[in-house]
Amino acid sequence: MAVTQGRRRALIAILIAGVLGGSGCATLGPVYTKVDKVPEDRGLVYIYRPSGIMGSGVAYNVKVGDNVVTTLHSGGYFPYYSKPGEVEFWAKTESRSAVTIDVKPGQVYYLKGTLGVGFFVGRPHLLVVSADVGEKEIAECKLIPEPKKEDIKEENKTPK
Amino acid sequence: MAITPQVASRDVTGFKVKGQIVYEGNPDYLPRTIAQGNPGETDFSFRYAYHCAYGMDNTHQALPLFNPLSIVGFPIGANTLVIAGKLDVYRGDALVKSYSATCAMDKTRNLFYEGETYSELRKRGLAEVRTNIEFQMHEDRNFFVNPNAGK
Repeated sequence: MAVTQGRRRALIAILIAGVLGGSGCATLGPVYTKVDKVPEDRGLVYIYRPSGIMGSGVAYNVKVGDNVVTTLHSGGYFPYYSKPGEVEFWAKTESRSAVTIDVKPGQVYYLKGTLGVGFFVGRPHLLVVSADVGEKEIAECKLIPEPKKEDIKEENKTPK
Repeated sequence: MAITPQVASRDVTGFKVKGQIVYEGNPDYLPRTIAQGNPGETDFSFRYAYHCAYGMDNTHQALPLFNPLSIVGFPIGANTLVIAGKLDVYRGDALVKSYSATCAMDKTRNLFYEGETYSELRKRGLAEVRTNIEFQMHEDRNFFVNPNAGK
């Protein structure tokens, strides 16, 4: 009887762990390293999401126009080389969050994503933060792989 | 939304001062009381810049889950955005006038209504700052019509 209860508890623990962490898991790359040089004709926008227990299973796409820039996972970051000008970054689950950045060539920006409470699913929140805050919070994040080729336009690909 | 300084609204249609404009942003947010002049046409030059500061409440995201009032529309968070714009007017190399305006906006969200996005708030705020500076500039219209009067 005791063995059965123990197995049941273990099974429940595995299920909970799977639900909480498994569904949004992605193979993230190495921990954050600062980009050495920003191309002269581009601005660099670090898109990141600090890791947290709440909503860690939910990932959402961050887009510019209809172009998927990255799928933002908890604890991940992605360096996006943006064309200069007014650029609107947005994300949507059951609600839409959008923020516009005046991108200037050679400049670095930090775009923080979080996940808030929603009715059925967590809601994305995008926020521009200062370099001080951004550099501190992104330090523990890991690189998110580039999105699939069909989701990213040629002009927005990361320069080699 | 709160905008400072508070200036009485007025019709600025037709009031436009020409000069060299130094500005790198979207022309839609530039005060409409200034216009690009031809070289040598006027002594005036303008420098316009704005800055946006974003903020989000520090309430833990999980807190609304434990608040039964969330289900009846109690706020579950808030966003703030402060926009500051500044227009410097130069005559030759001398700074002769400086106008600034600040617009502070905040919005709360609940389970049923997320409210305006930061992009929408920013657009509205930049337009308010632009209009406020236009009103301030119009108050000084005598200076721009006859800039040598005070000398």
